[in-house]
Amino acid sequence: MELLVAQLLNGLVYGVLLFLMAAGLSLIFGLMNVVSLAHGSFFMLGAFVGLSIFHLTGSFWLALLLSPLPVVAIGVVMEVLFLRPLYARGHMDQVLLTFGFTFIFYDLVQTVWGKVVLTLPTPEALQSTLHIGVGVFSAYRLFLIGFGFAVALLLWLLLERSRIGAMVRAGVDNAEMAAGLGGNIPALFTGVFGFGVALAALGGIAAGPVLGLYPGMDTDILIPAFIVTVIGGMGSLRGAFVGSLLIGIADTFGKAYFQSIALFLIYLAMTLVLLIRPQGLFGVKFSDVSPPSAVTRTESASTRVTFIAGLVALVALVLLPFVLPEYQRALIAEIFIFAIFAMSLDLILGFTGLMSLGHAAFFGLGAYTVAVLGAQFGLNAWLGLGAGVLFAAGGAALIGFFCVRTGGTSFLMLTLAFSQLVFSVALKWRDVTGGSDGMALAEQPGFLGLSLSNSLVMYFMTLLFFVAAYLALRRLINAPLGRAFVGIRENEARMAAIGYPTRTYKLIAFIVAGAFAGLAGGLYVIYNGFISSDAVYWTASGDILIMTMLGGAGTLIGPPIGAAVFLLLKNVVSSYSDHWLSIIGAAFVFCVLFIPGGIWGAVQKLRWQGSAP
Amino acid sequence: MNLLEIDHLTCAFGKLVVTDNLSLSIGEGERHVIIGPNGAGKTSLINQIGGQLKPSAGRILLHGRDVTGQSPSRISRLGVARTFQRNNLFQNLSVAENLQLALTVRFGNPLDFFSVAARDQALAARVRQLLQLVHLDGWDGRIVRTLSYGEQRQLEVAVALASEPKLLLLDEPTSGMSPTETARMIELIAALPRTLSVLMIEHDMTVVFSIADRITVLYYGQILASGLPDDIRADPRVREVYLGMVH
Ligand SMILES: Nc1ncnc2c1ncn2[C@@H]1O[C@H](COP(=O)(O)OP(=O)(O)OP(=O)(O)O)[C@@H](O)[C@H]1O
Ligand SMILES: [Mg+2]
Repeated sequence: MELLVAQLLNGLVYGVLLFLMAAGLSLIFGLMNVVSLAHGSFFMLGAFVGLSIFHLTGSFWLALLLSPLPVVAIGVVMEVLFLRPLYARGHMDQVLLTFGFTFIFYDLVQTVWGKVVLTLPTPEALQSTLHIGVGVFSAYRLFLIGFGFAVALLLWLLLERSRIGAMVRAGVDNAEMAAGLGGNIPALFTGVFGFGVALAALGGIAAGPVLGLYPGMDTDILIPAFIVTVIGGMGSLRGAFVGSLLIGIADTFGKAYFQSIALFLIYLAMTLVLLIRPQGLFGVKFSDVSPPSAVTRTESASTRVTFIAGLVALVALVLLPFVLPEYQRALIAEIFIFAIFAMSLDLILGFTGLMSLGHAAFFGLGAYTVAVLGAQFGLNAWLGLGAGVLFAAGGAALIGFFCVRTGGTSFLMLTLAFSQLVFSVALKWRDVTGGSDGMALAEQPGFLGLSLSNSLVMYFMTLLFFVAAYLALRRLINAPLGRAFVGIRENEARMAAIGYPTRTYKLIAFIVAGAFAGLAGGLYVIYNGFISSDAVYWTASGDILIMTMLGGAGTLIGPPIGAAVFLLLKNVVSSYSDHWLSIIGAAFVFCVLFIPGGIWGAVQKLRWQGSAP
Repeated sequence: MNLLEIDHLTCAFGKLVVTDNLSLSIGEGERHVIIGPNGAGKTSLINQIGGQLKPSAGRILLHGRDVTGQSPSRISRLGVARTFQRNNLFQNLSVAENLQLALTVRFGNPLDFFSVAARDQALAARVRQLLQLVHLDGWDGRIVRTLSYGEQRQLEVAVALASEPKLLLLDEPTSGMSPTETARMIELIAALPRTLSVLMIEHDMTVVFSIADRITVLYYGQILASGLPDDIRADPRVREVYLGMVH
């Protein structure tokens, strides 16, 4: 009984922290239609800034009071300078922009505060324990619960009773209507964004004494907060509240009583809700996000010119390794593998119009299948590769089944959430996967009787797979099935009206993309001889997304170009700078702001202009 | 048996009832025109037949078969095609591709992942036929967004006809068209084979009376009158609420 009550309280504490996050996310989404992926970063920044203030002043309360201020300032600058110019362009670009910032903030925290777990002591006044009825409770935890409920009440009053609240509610229903009410929309947006950031920062510092402070706490809170908003319903404060407490308690009890499946419990809850009520428990509106704007014209079926150009490129790639030193051959082999990975993402992103933030999950499934089957059963890596492709396709079928039931922003959040689930399994199932230490490939296979330790053999093996994957995907894109994917990207409602069961087609695209990602993952293990949970972390999904978008989504040539530029740059930069993450983030932001069609898109544009009369 | 049978259909957006216990039937080969003031619920009715909107009560029967609340793609495959009040095309694809998508799902193999869609000669021939029908011959390669509004309207109809439906739903096909384009559209609709039934929403009274076998007047989600064109013309209530008011 005592334990039960204690668990319930812990669940409430976690729920309250989730609420501080989810409320802001939900408000911002409801009003502006933007899911801020940087929201977890503000939580993390709030905690770390609070820690520094605590070290300076020695007062927890001052830290709690002051730490949101600089964080809000950062958030407001981000909204005004970066998000605002993009309102006209569609929400997906804004979401991507916030994603870019998560990299930068992550790097910032790592640089300023280091990579280790830091602790923020519980404020002295609340260090005591209270004896109430059946048990002993930490005063700080009780305070947190009270604090959270007070914030919830305040928010509710603000929304329901005040003029600003009325404007926000009107904005949630209809932005133009709110403008008609005489509201100053840009100021309202900035205000609500800043307010949401303040809640997240408060949550971060309040969580400090309970959860600890570490780089990575951003996603650790963001993902469950996403799950809360998906369950509660996007844009609903009541949904955020009920969902937070539900998930907080369910997760805490799960971890206490069903350790082995605790990880899956909240995902199970989420999938159940999605099956029964796709818009969430209290959801009123579906997220409506247009497909990514980074969509360029699709490749035409091969003409003689493209055929010759392709042939020339192929000959160049065949001759290239003979003039390169060994080390650079290996680098290019890696580029071929990531080119396959990027093309697979492009199939859903650029061609079908589905923005996935969790594509690394399928890369990981392919990679781990090869490594684990090799280690556990001594299976040959080539057979493992076949199994890996199938396994990744199966995983994509399962995850995709839930994801394609939603669209736009929910799709994006779900793919991210599921990929973090795959990551957690890779991390926690240490006996099999080696967790963050990773696992080595038991035995490197030969290739056509040759040894892959020879860099030339490795180069040609990966080139072969790359060319095969490129041709297969090109064939697919120009075939009726691929045209159907493009039709869905362009106008899903019309596709349904002319007879395409669009959900099924989206699922097919998702599975095919998963299979090719699995192929890339399996090849990567064979190439690298090693795989660790880092390969399925959300940053890996971010890497592949930036490669695809940088090169040019919606074309098949763009992603390989993006992979090449990204990996070459990384290779050069990381040799003399530790701030690779910030550079990726900045590149992301730059790409979204200035070259939405990617490098290849820009090249094509020039070509069209050049050929215009 | 009637081709389409609408049976006590009801649908509401919150408190606004847009389809109010409405019953209507359309026979094989019939040209049925729905008229009514703005906001009468005409588009909403078409949306329920097409599956884009789910009614809250009542039934929709197609060939006697209950299709109420089924998905748009399923209803389309049962032989219902539609156009939209606002052009709803694949703006960044070519004219030919717009038609190919509609043709493939009906007559081809949309799951084919290997043959090159653009090289299908039979498909291309059918595309040319359809374009000729809507007076867009030779426009195959044009990107849709570069067409004029009226031309896009014509393409809307071609995309709907591509699947060779049994029932064609047209939501104001002549809106935004020039007089010449309108005349051609009337001609086109009038020349459609009688194996096909047409349910059409229209505001332009010349168009209405030149096409309709029967006319239904909608008013606040209810049927104010339904019958032969001459009866509708003579109906005093219709004159009062509608004919005198619009155009
Ligand atoms: N998605 C929606 N949500 C809320 N109300 C809607 C929605 N769609 C339509 N309405 C309302 O329902 C009513 C009927 O709309 P509908 O489009 O069916 O009218 P209509 O007869 O086609 O009008 P029009 O001649 O202007 O095309 C209108 O008052 C409209 O504002
Ligand atoms: Mg209408």
